[in-house]
This record gives sequence, C-alpha cells and structure tokens, in this order.
Amino acid sequence: MTVFDIFTNQLLNGIVLGSFYALVALGYTMVFGVVKLLNFAHGELYMVGGFAGFLVLSFLSPFIGAGWFGVAISMVLAMIAVGFLGVVIERVAYAPMLSAPRLSILITALAVSLVLQNGMLALTKGQYVPFGSALGFGGINLGKLFISYNQMILVGVAALLMLSLEMFVSRTQYGRAMRAVAVDKDMSRLMGINVNAIIAVTFFVGSALAAAAGTMAGAFYGSLWYFMGFLIGLKAFTAAVIGGIGSIPGAMLGGLILGLLESFATQLDLRGMGIPFKVGSEWKDVFSFSVLILILVLKPTGLLGKPEQERM
Amino acid sequence: MAQLPERPSSWGGLSAILDTRAKQATVICVLLLVMAVVPFVTNDYITVIVTHALLYVVLALGLNIVVGYAGLLDLGFAAFFAVGAYTVGITTQYFGLNFWLALPLAVFFASIAGVIIGTPTLRLRSDYLAIVTLGFGEIVRLTARNLRETGGASGIRGIESPWIFGYHVQSNIDFYFVFLILAIIGVIVSVRLANSRLGRAWLYVRHDEDAAEAMGIDRVKVKLAAYVVGAIYGAIGGAFFAANLGAISPESFSFRQSVEILMVVILGGIGKIPGVILGAFIVILTPELLREVGDLRYFIFAIGLLLIMLFRPSGIWPAARGKK
Amino acid sequence: MRNVLKTAAGIALALAIGAPAMAQDTLTIGIMVPTTGSEATYGQDMANAVNLAIGEINAAGGVLGKQLTSTIGDDGCDAQLAVNAASKLAASNVVGVVGGYCSGATVPTLKIYGDAKIPLIIPAANSTKLIPENPGNAFMINSTGNDQVAKAIEYFTGKGIKSIAIVNQGDAYSQDLADLTKKNWEAAGNTVTSFETTNKGEQDYSAVVTNIIAGSPEAVFWTAYYADGGLLIRQLRERGYQGLIAVGDGSNSPELFKIAGPAAEGVIGFSNPTAEFLPDAKAFAEAYQAQFGAASGPYSTLSYDAMKLLAWAINTAGTTDSAKVIETLQGANFTDTISGPISFTPEKTLARSNFVVLEGKGGAWTLAQ
Repeated sequence: MTVFDIFTNQLLNGIVLGSFYALVALGYTMVFGVVKLLNFAHGELYMVGGFAGFLVLSFLSPFIGAGWFGVAISMVLAMIAVGFLGVVIERVAYAPMLSAPRLSILITALAVSLVLQNGMLALTKGQYVPFGSALGFGGINLGKLFISYNQMILVGVAALLMLSLEMFVSRTQYGRAMRAVAVDKDMSRLMGINVNAIIAVTFFVGSALAAAAGTMAGAFYGSLWYFMGFLIGLKAFTAAVIGGIGSIPGAMLGGLILGLLESFATQLDLRGMGIPFKVGSEWKDVFSFSVLILILVLKPTGLLGKPEQERM
Repeated sequence: MAQLPERPSSWGGLSAILDTRAKQATVICVLLLVMAVVPFVTNDYITVIVTHALLYVVLALGLNIVVGYAGLLDLGFAAFFAVGAYTVGITTQYFGLNFWLALPLAVFFASIAGVIIGTPTLRLRSDYLAIVTLGFGEIVRLTARNLRETGGASGIRGIESPWIFGYHVQSNIDFYFVFLILAIIGVIVSVRLANSRLGRAWLYVRHDEDAAEAMGIDRVKVKLAAYVVGAIYGAIGGAFFAANLGAISPESFSFRQSVEILMVVILGGIGKIPGVILGAFIVILTPELLREVGDLRYFIFAIGLLLIMLFRPSGIWPAARGKK
Repeated sequence: MRNVLKTAAGIALALAIGAPAMAQDTLTIGIMVPTTGSEATYGQDMANAVNLAIGEINAAGGVLGKQLTSTIGDDGCDAQLAVNAASKLAASNVVGVVGGYCSGATVPTLKIYGDAKIPLIIPAANSTKLIPENPGNAFMINSTGNDQVAKAIEYFTGKGIKSIAIVNQGDAYSQDLADLTKKNWEAAGNTVTSFETTNKGEQDYSAVVTNIIAGSPEAVFWTAYYADGGLLIRQLRERGYQGLIAVGDGSNSPELFKIAGPAAEGVIGFSNPTAEFLPDAKAFAEAYQAQFGAASGPYSTLSYDAMKLLAWAINTAGTTDSAKVIETLQGANFTDTISGPISFTPEKTLARSNFVVLEGKGGAWTLAQ
C-alpha cells in the first residue's frame, strides 16, 4: 500500500468510526442542551439498544430473516423500546432531581449506568452474546481502497438518522419547542410549551439514536457485551464536548473529528521521516485526549458551542 | 443560586443537637475510641475493609477541596492517586529510596500534576472541566499502562512498607492505624483550611467568580491552590496505598476509582466533612456487605445509591437549618 | 454523628450475622475471581468450572468424608478489592482457595493467603511478577508466557514465516505475552511489522487492521482474549488479509467461532489442551454446557483441574492442615486432569508445559499436530 492508499483507507475508517461516535454523541448533546445534564447512563442505552435489537431479531428472524431487512426492522423496534426506556429513566431518576444540585444528578446518572450495566451482567451471566445477524462480507474495491457494504450502509443509516434529526429539530413544532426549552425553560413554560413533554421527547429521541447505534454495532461487528457501552459512552462524551456540548451539529462534527483523530493516530509514525514521534494504537487515546484538551484551551466552549452562563 | 451553603466545617443540621463544644468533643472522643478498638474486637477482614474506607476518606477529603470548597468538577481524581502511588513505587524500587524520602517526592510530583491539570482548566465551565479532568485521568492511566518503566499493565511489585522509629509497619492493623491517623490529619487540615483566608477565597470564587475577582482575590491562584491541595491528599493516599498493597497496577487508577471518590463526596453532602466520612464508609462498605448477593451486588448498591439521591438530593448529611 | 454510630453498629451486626457459620460436616473452598466489572465474563467461566468440579467431587463422596461447599470472593480485577476478597475468604475458614485471574489483582493477595496459611492454586494469572511474591503457599498451574511464546515461535518458524504483526489488548496478560513474543522473535532475526495495542471493548478495529495490512506481515498474532479477538479476526478477513492468523491461549474458547463466524476458519491457536477436543474431556464440556447453558471459557478447564488438584492434595495429605497440603502439592504428580499432568518446579510454577497447536476447522477447535 502506498501512503496515499493508507491515507484514504484511514480516512474511510475514521468516517465510519466517527459516525458511530456522532450518533451516540447526539443523545448526549440533546439531553444536555435541554436539561443541562451529563447523562452518564447514555453509553448504557447504546448497550441496552444492542441487546434489544438482538432480542427482536431472534424473535423475528424466522419470519423476516437476519439480513438487511431483519436488522433494519430490529433496529427500528429497538429504537422505540429504548426510547421509552430513556423516558422512563428520565421520569424516575432525573425528573425529581432537576432542581437538586447539578452534581447530585450526575451521581444519579452514574447510578443508573451501574444499574443497567450490572443488570445486564446478571441477565447475560457475563457472557458475550453473538448477535446472529447474517450480513456477510463483501464490498467494493476502488483501487487499493476497500469499502465494505457494511460500512456503506452503516454510514448511510447514520447520515440518514442525523439528517432526520436535523429536520426534526429545525422544521417541526416539537423541534422548535425543544430549542426554546434549551434556551430558557421557565420562559418556554410561560409561552405555553409543555416543558415536561419536550424533555420526554428529547430523552426518547436521544435514547433511540443510541439504540440505533447499538443495534448496528451488534449487527455489523457481530457480538454484544454487557460492558460495551462504557467505552463508547466515554468516546461519545468526548465527541460531544469537542463539538461544543449542547450543539447538535457540534456533536456530529465532534464525532467525526474524534473518529478521524483515532484512525489517523493509529497510523501516525513520523520516525520514517527522521522525526522521533510515533503515536500508534497504543497511544492513540492519549493523543486524542491531548487534542481535546488543546481544543478546549483554545476554544473553551468547544468548536461549535456557544458561551453560556455558568449555573452550578 | 438559591442560597449560600453553610461553611464546610459546620456540623450541618446536627449543630442544633451538638450545640456546645463539650458535646462535640464527647462525640468525637467516642467515635475515635470506637475506631481505635475496631481492629482488636473484629477480624482481619473487617480491619481490611475499614482501612479501605479510611483510604477513601483521605482521597475524598482531597477531592472535596477541589469540588466542595472550590466548586471545580473533577472526574479524574484517580490521576493524583496514581501519581502518588507510582512515585513511591518507582523511586523505592528502581532508585532504592526509603519510603519517607519517596513520600515528599510523591507530594512534589502530585503538586506539579495539580498545576498541569489546573492550568488549562481555569477558563472552563464545569461540564467542560469534567471531560478535561476525565481526559487527564485517562492519560495518566494509559501512560502507566504503556510505559515499560512503570511496569506496563502488570505494574510494579515488591514495594517495601515503611519503618517508623525502628518499627516495621506491615500488618493489617498497622496500616489500619496509619490510615486512621492520615484520615484524622486530613480532617483537621480540611477544617483549618475551610476557616483560613484561602478557604474563604474558595468560598467566594465558588459563589461568584467575578465578584471575588473584583474584591481582589486572584482567582487563578486560588483555583490552582485547590487542585494542588487536592492533589497532595491524593498523592499521600496513593503513597500509603502502594506501601500497604506492596504492588500497584494501572487498573487501580481508572475512571471507576475517580467516580467512586466523587460518589463519596457527593453522597455524603458536598463540602461537609462529616458527610465525606459517612460517604466513604457507605460507598466502600456497602458492596462489601453485599458480597453474599453475588454478581448482583453492584446492581443493588446502585439502586440504593439512586434511592438515597432521590430522597436526599443534597447528600445524606443534613444541611444546617435557618442559616443562610 | 448518631447516624454514624448507628451505621457502624449496623455494619458490625451485619458482618457478625453475615459471616458463614462454621458447619462441622463441610469444607469450604474459596474461589477468588472477578464476577463483576469488565472481566466478569472470564471470572464466571472459572467459578462455574470450580463449582462443576466440586459437584463431581461431592457426588464421589467428598473430601476426607466431608462435602465441599464454595464461597466466591469477587476481586473485580482490582488490587484493593482483591485484598478485601482475600481477607474475607481468609476469615471464612476456607481450607484452600482456587483463583487468580488478573495478575495485578492477584499479586497483593499472595501475602494475605500466605499469612493465613491457606493453600492457593492459581489457574489463570501467570505473570512472572507473581513468582517472587509467593510466600510458598501458592501454586501456578497455568504455564508462563515463556512456554507459549516458545511454542508460537517454533510454529511460525516451521511454517517459514519471517514477519509477523503482534496485537495485544493492554492488560497484563496479553501485554506480557506480546512483549515476550516481540523480544524473542526479533532476537531470532525475524521482523515485527507492527506492534499494536487495542482497548478492551473497542468494537471497531479497522484503523489497526489497515495499519497491519500496510505492513504486509505473513502472520498476525493476537495475544489477548477471544471476544475482542473474534472481532479482530472478522475485520482482518473482511479487509482481505490473506496471511496466517494465530491467537494465544486466552482466545481458546468455542465462543471465538460464534463471534468471528466463518472468518475464524483456519485460525491457529496455542493453548493448553482444553476440553472440547480431547476425547476424555468431552464429559467436562457436555456437563459444563448442561449446567451453565454456555460453552466453557479459556480458563475453565484449568480452574476445574485446580479444584481437582486441591481436593486430591487434601485427600492425600489426609488432613486440611495447610502445611501438609502444601507439602503434598509441592510433590504432586497429578494426572487425573483434563489439561495434562501437573507437577511443580521449586518456584511452584508448572513444571512441564503442554502447549499444543490448535486449528479452527468447521467452527470448532481441532488439534493441528
């Protein structure tokens, strides 16, 4: 492979990885935008989403197969189920806490994440669960650049979901209300917006996006694990912050940037050019966290975030 | 910004009952007496887990200074803990230093780490602070994992435990008292700090940075001081942790530990020292008591945590009444 | 403050009640493995296998005429939690402990078991850092990385392979194995095209795969566990990697094939012989599947053997007196195992490695030679 081939391949890898991060980061950022909560349980919703998709698929695959169609149906149903789970979590664990100190609700979120993680640990007895999708291999070669069908569909679905979200937020009545609540909850209430309903919608949509990512991860990579939400939750949080937490385009941009950073950092080795600097897979997370810190030092509210009044 | 929280050193809601110094002193003496006899009337296991809780008292007191006093969210406190433990591990193992020479070095490096972490975060508001501190925590852990000088993923072993005046501190009971003494010193320092000039400066900065600055408080210095003091607590905890276990490895300093320390601080009631102590005992001892439950123990622990937060959103320790 | 006192009293009471009652007619075995946290998968595989062995031992009349029971000490793969778990087991009057999965968490417990004079048999953790910390009561029945690396290099060399890529997962076990392979492989005059470290739970390995393929190694050696290994194998093959793929003993589980699918066809594994392909161990695999509804894990057989070894040692010593049991273990030449005979070096590590080469065929492991 030439340097150019490697570059294009890593570019593609970064875009695919970034799409995942972006999907999960969107939920983080939406919830933050509307209720100013760092929902640390969000990564766990990705995990639960994967398992929900798996359950649906194992019930329905005798009728609809485990191919593209089956996975798509499972994904939609998992999105709905986990969307409701997100709403329930909000009602039970977060709503009573919204007037409590900000840090208390952070602990609540961490507790919810422990509940989901350890609940799934007990249900699966700690085992990895093969997803059981039958998507197969294959793809197209553009010169030395290999694009698998899986990757294309994954990026396509992610783009479609993000596009619909953007439409939803900017065009619909709910979206407008959501933006209003994000700016000023009390004023929105005075304007006749049902703030609680809007918060519920936000949690529903955010959780559903995480579930979509979880099901796709299960279907494309092939297995599920009770702990799989932890790492991606961390990464999505990072992505959301890079883009400016609270900003929807920011989450998409942040996800993409983080994905690209990681894939290029894996490759980054300047020793061949006489410069003693190598990142590689071992140090890639150190590298991307360092870039994150650098970005925040230069732009304290993230790339697309707006400065906001502190209210702790 | 509804109300000014009470001063950190306060007895909180119990000040109504414990209204005289004599009563307060009695309570403290009784508690100390109980703590002093625990290892002699129970078994090794209880000594070990209470020692674990006392370690978390020390660590959480340090984080309490960052989060509770100065109002800076920190999701990577385990980094300081790691710096202390690894400094002792490396200097005693590779350079043959005595523990008591390694300890000041641990404090020194942790202070530097505090400044390094503190400086870029000064302009950030809390949610961004969360990810930056988290990032620092991960950077420290991954560095310890990747470098072969730090023993890589399997860490450093064979760390000598310290001698005090010709006495070799090595048994479980010895370390129980080491951590008990550290916790007591930690509490005293925390109380004194809260009432000091610096403590008041933290209070002002936490409540209104701009006003504090207008009053002539150097907010950069004050915030950095919080990180450095917190880091010193973490490093001392880490140093004795390394001496106690004799071996350290990166998984002892992960996000999980940072979160547990934060839970201790918030569960008990941010900024309240008795709350921090109570929080440490709850967060460490509950999963131990639930061992019989098997793999659901953290599930039950988390449900309990949720219920506590729902019923006492400001932490378990009661807030002072009628004091604005 | 009253709350504190109340809590303290409550804790003391709960501990007093919670402490297992000393029954006269049973012997308790401690199992120290992670059953919560990210390593719970492997810990539960091990605990299951120990309990399976205990069931069989009890059915055959128990040990010294007494039935065995077990109590699990969850170490969460964390040093401090492991110390707590070990102290709890030591305080529960166990006659012996089987356990130790994460080396980092196992090292600080050795002193506790040593002080309490409890025989400890370590089925999985195999870091060389355990050896100097051993007070004399711990026995490691998993071969050390040296044996495995020797086998791997012998195999690669035999296949005329000159260049390999090494991938580990950043934990003590796989990092040690990867470091050792790199050192010995390069010392033998061969090339390591890339040395990669992934994170556990990372599902997308495409960047690493591109990096590996760019170096065009003749073989890829994955030194960590099956779950992530399965994903890596899938993605390597999907990207058209044609060379040999080899995995270490942590990946020796039938689950690898469920996760990797057809991509795992032809994968080479280095491992202690384990149940599913040894004729006399079929019974183990079937009993495990029947009792726990899942295939056994990479350290299940060793854990099973560890329990059998401990029971044998107590029976042979004729007493639960730890000094005698430890002496018996030291002189053991125990052959009633499913993973090969066990005897110990003076350092209390496995005297003779019995690594074999496995090959993935038709969705299962088979013996390659």
